[in-house]
Amino acid sequence: MVKPFRLLVILFLVICAVLSFFPFFLMLSTSFKPVKEVFQISTHLLPQNPNIDNYIRVFRESQIVRFLANGAIVTVGILLGQLLVVIPASYAFAKLSFPGQRVLFAVVLAALVFPRYIAAVPNFLLLSKLRLINTYAALILPFIGSPFGIFLMRQYFKQIPSEYFEAARIDGCNLLQMLSQVLIPLIRPAVGAFAIFSIVTHWNDFFWPLIVVQSSNMYTPPAGIVYFADVEAGTNWSVVMAAAVVIITPLVVTFLLARRQFISSLTHSTIKG
Amino acid sequence: MRQQPKSLLCSNNCMTNLSSRPARLSRRAGLRYLSPYLLLFPAFLFLGLFVFWPVAYSIYLSTMDWKLGYASREFVLLDNFVDLLTSDDFWNAAKNTGIYTVLMSSLSIGIGLILSLAIIGARRFHSFWQALFFLPVAATMAAMAVVWRFIFDSHIGVLNAFLLRIGMNSVAWLTQNTTAMGAVIVVGIWSNAGYAMVFFIAGLSNIPKTLYEAAAIDGASSPRQFFSITWPLLSPTTLFIMIIMTVRALASFDIVKVLTDGGPVGATQVLSHLLYEEAFKFFDTGYASGIAVVFFILVLALALLQMRVEKWVHYQ
Repeated sequence: MVKPFRLLVILFLVICAVLSFFPFFLMLSTSFKPVKEVFQISTHLLPQNPNIDNYIRVFRESQIVRFLANGAIVTVGILLGQLLVVIPASYAFAKLSFPGQRVLFAVVLAALVFPRYIAAVPNFLLLSKLRLINTYAALILPFIGSPFGIFLMRQYFKQIPSEYFEAARIDGCNLLQMLSQVLIPLIRPAVGAFAIFSIVTHWNDFFWPLIVVQSSNMYTPPAGIVYFADVEAGTNWSVVMAAAVVIITPLVVTFLLARRQFISSLTHSTIKG
Repeated sequence: MRQQPKSLLCSNNCMTNLSSRPARLSRRAGLRYLSPYLLLFPAFLFLGLFVFWPVAYSIYLSTMDWKLGYASREFVLLDNFVDLLTSDDFWNAAKNTGIYTVLMSSLSIGIGLILSLAIIGARRFHSFWQALFFLPVAATMAAMAVVWRFIFDSHIGVLNAFLLRIGMNSVAWLTQNTTAMGAVIVVGIWSNAGYAMVFFIAGLSNIPKTLYEAAAIDGASSPRQFFSITWPLLSPTTLFIMIIMTVRALASFDIVKVLTDGGPVGATQVLSHLLYEEAFKFFDTGYASGIAVVFFILVLALALLQMRVEKWVHYQ
């Protein structure tokens, strides 16, 4: 009685897996198809004459390298900026006590739930007033003060025994030494978890680049691929698919290499959409 | 919360240590008093500039009649909201957002639950299945939405190729209003079911095995075990996922923007996309800010609900 049931379960999983994986499969197989094959409707799912011409074309003729570089600059810039402001703040919330602490932390918690759409128009106005539209700064600055980062790091700091900090203080550490010699080594795992969350969020962000970028050479990967698809679509799906493969590769590879950390880091960040 | 008095004590100790060196007391003590605020300052500067000020300014703008680029700006109090609540566009977008949210999140949750039960039931290759179904969450949505556009394409799309092969007519999936929303919802489920699944797997693994063993000894059948043990013990998780999914669905923008751009004729227009168009295509800043405020109220309500539920989940 048990055996057929389990077989059924596995069959179900396989069917779901095929459906779930199909877009990836199609993207990969199409990206190796010569352009002609794509237009022969209802032919084969796998390329008949696989080649890498599409990839060569993508790298030669599109701005994809620029998109990837923009993505790297923006995500790394955001992450570094976030760590610089988030670590001191969360240390203060977790390990010091001062008047107004609870109120200020409640303020951070409130920021955690604000939807991004309400800030979009004023942030755009502010950045254009500062003449920063279409710059990296416009893509980076709005995300530096990360309430989620403060929340996550504070929780982690709280688990670290205060004795570490007291010992360091007795040894005469000043605040800077305290941060660099004691704190940073202790919080490396939390930094890792936050880094995955931050990089995935901002590498994948499509909304904000669409608003503050005005020339295609400033697009980050998601806006870049959509722009490229709009230019090429209808004529060259196989090249577009090759570009899509290139753009999802960095995160997908990271995910496959560090599945557990990846999943837990993305599921701890519940409310921010 | 327990730790607060302890750390208070600690900083008091430090003060008394310092007071044995009276000459340096005032400067050091002053710095010590200020240092928490110095540590907080950069974070609050950025939060203030790019989170709190924009929220306040949005609310202010929602009371203004102002098109971006025009010099005139007129205080109209609630006119934008009156416009909003009497405009077909808004109600159409609200209706579509409702349909998308309800169908996408309930189906994603249902499929996520079944997947998690199946994965645990399969007993082997846990992490393989989990990775496979989480893959759509990890992949850049905008890029995958482009792939879906190719799948749904009415001329050379794979879906139509398949339909033709089995002898049916091809369908203009994304450009006719009877199917466009369905296509958007399918893609939404594809990208979110794995996310729900991960929470369910965590929730299921928290249910003590001994309960099932006891039930098995008492002769309870599998469906009976599911409805008497799994379902009730999983319900806090389920509620929690429902809220998360609702927030994700409300905030969803990429799929609609890439697949249909809100079309055909508003058939897939959702609130986030309407806000984007009003603000950055038509530059009707006041009206767009009105939508932003409505959005804000919705998400805030859900967030408060989530806080309630979170307490319940953790302290059950």
